Amino acid sequence: MHREIRDHIEDVLRGGDTLKDAREHLAQCDECRTELRSMQEQTALIRELRAPADFADDLRPGFYARVMERIEAEGPISIWNLFIESAFGRRIAVASLALALLIGVYVVTSERAAEDSTIALESQQATTEQIFVAGEDAPAREITRVDQSQTDESSQDAVLANLVTYREQ
Amino acid sequence: MDTSITTLPFPAVVGEGTRARTRVDHKTSEEAALVRRVQARDEMAFREVVERYQSKVFSIIFGILRNRNDAEDIAQQVFAKVYFSIKNFDFRSSLLTWIYKITVNECYDYLRKKRVRKLVYESDFSQEDAQRMEASEPAVDGAVPADTRLAQRDLILKLLSKVSEEERSLILLKEVEGHSVEELAGMTGLNENTIKVKLFRTRQKLLRAAGRLTRTR
Repeated sequence: MHREIRDHIEDVLRGGDTLKDAREHLAQCDECRTELRSMQEQTALIRELRAPADFADDLRPGFYARVMERIEAEGPISIWNLFIESAFGRRIAVASLALALLIGVYVVTSERAAEDSTIALESQQATTEQIFVAGEDAPAREITRVDQSQTDESSQDAVLANLVTYREQ
Repeated sequence: MDTSITTLPFPAVVGEGTRARTRVDHKTSEEAALVRRVQARDEMAFREVVERYQSKVFSIIFGILRNRNDAEDIAQQVFAKVYFSIKNFDFRSSLLTWIYKITVNECYDYLRKKRVRKLVYESDFSQEDAQRMEASEPAVDGAVPADTRLAQRDLILKLLSKVSEEERSLILLKEVEGHSVEELAGMTGLNENTIKVKLFRTRQKLLRAAGRLTRTR
């Protein structure tokens, strides 16, 4: 649509007096005339969406009260409401807490057990090494180290056997 | 020293008080005070809003849907949405414009949910169907048959769903509510040229959408 019509389209569609320039242009321009006619038809259809003249606003009494009921029913929902307000939700919450507690206890006790076994291993190793420490005046002796992986009774026996068979070089 | 020299006055400064008002100030009006009270959860203020606009809202809904049974349900939904969303109202437009937009959007949400399977609305309205409709109720005194009117309403509603919410509200305020460009400028906080451009673009979009719909049949 050309500027001569576009700039005054609202006046034209309203049915107001079209400017002389616009009228002259419409008389000569088929394209603008066609598009304008389509817009006029479309505008007439849009105006049909107006409520009829005899429309009576007969909202039932108590409309405001019903609005407030709807607002209360649709109140903003928080995720926590699901756990607090519903019995099932409360059970889920309690069960989740109990599970979290169990997992926590398991993790803590597992860590402690791991620490204890590490300490025991280290102390045994230290004890084994002490046996082979050379004295000040004694000649250097071959230090036999107990294999760290052998912490069971057989390794203790091996240590005793070494002690017994030990000979001064 | 010549004391007769007259001191020239300071040149007039164009400021808030002297500039021609092209926009309505929606922040300091009586309506704005009412909105602020509603935002502060003053129930009496909200009641005043409901009573002030309920007729208009109902009329808009009925104009679009022509269904009295559902109109009140949608009207309730509109005001519930007003209640929950009013804290986001930014005073750039009038309260009526804002409520109007919510109302039209609720109508379109309703139509989508209902999945109204009118022939034209579902784009399977053929030329034969149109002729059958027109033949079913002969025109009296040149009046458009009821079925054709219904089909035309459905068509325009479908076309309006193709434009943005702002464009839809603007064109409906102009053509259905009958507001002038000047009034729309005051209501929306936009200047008149912007309103004219937006309206023109919306009309063109509607024509293009109608053209595409015709080609797919």
